[in-house]
Amino acid sequence: MKKSICILIVLAIGIHLVTAQKKYFCKTAKISFYSKAPLEDIESHNTQVLTAFDAITGQIEFAVLIKGFEFEKAKMQEHFNEEYIESDKYPKALFLGTLKDPGQLTLDKDGVYKVQVIGSLTLHGVTKPQNAEAIFIVKNAIVNATAEFNVAVADYNIKIPALVADKVSKSVKVVVNVPSYQPR
Amino acid sequence: MIIMKLKGKHVWLALLIVITIAGIYAYREYNRKPADLSNVASQSSTTADSLVMLFEKDELKANALYLGKAIDVTGVIAEITNQKDTIINVTLGKKDDMHRVSCLMDVQHINDVKTYKESDMIKLRGICNGYLMDVELNRCVVIK
Repeated sequence: MKKSICILIVLAIGIHLVTAQKKYFCKTAKISFYSKAPLEDIESHNTQVLTAFDAITGQIEFAVLIKGFEFEKAKMQEHFNEEYIESDKYPKALFLGTLKDPGQLTLDKDGVYKVQVIGSLTLHGVTKPQNAEAIFIVKNAIVNATAEFNVAVADYNIKIPALVADKVSKSVKVVVNVPSYQPR
Repeated sequence: MIIMKLKGKHVWLALLIVITIAGIYAYREYNRKPADLSNVASQSSTTADSLVMLFEKDELKANALYLGKAIDVTGVIAEITNQKDTIINVTLGKKDDMHRVSCLMDVQHINDVKTYKESDMIKLRGICNGYLMDVELNRCVVIK
């Protein structure tokens, strides 16, 4: 009887450890966005993105501080923060999603996994559905993930000044890169 | 008549000078890079522990005080992450703390932090971008 209880406890601890190892996070993910337009191309990067991922449930989250986006030109950065995205009022953007089929991802086995992510993006105080195709690459126990999707600025009530409205792109390409998910 | 002609010439000359100055100013302003923080005065000075505590206690108040501002933060290095010598992030606080101060170094000043290691005391100046799991600063430079 005692032996059976011991086995059960060991099994329970084992299961807990395995489950615990299925949760991952990264504080140094990168989000870039690109906008091509006749007036000028705009490009910006933020490398302090927080992300968490649960391989069992397939839940995946990203949080980013808007003021952390860096631009090549100071004026561009000022316009982005003050006129377009109002980062004092809306300092964070958030993506909450779930893998459509978490079972197809095997993080303890090297490989390249293409997965569909279904979720919602909160930006500029507006939450809209946002789906994306993500690629997880597992190599020597290092889990890297990338994704790309487009965001229509009008969907998030981001107003482009009338003077430049015809010369600035109305859609922005967003590229996400998680260099390494760490077990939590 | 001659006086009128001279006046006219002066007006055109003045206009040309004004347009040239405005053009140079607009060009320089358009191409201006984000400021190097080693040449910018900090707007506040604090410790990593106080900064984290303030954000934990009242994020709105802390944002009102620090968001978007250049601040000096002194603390013990808990971790240095180096991604291919292009992105170096210095985390200030205790190793087992849940919330710390995450400082992304300015690319131009990456070498200044390479002489430091974990557990060293350091003073960094950076722009405070707010609070996620950590308080985040970017464009950081070492202050000696």
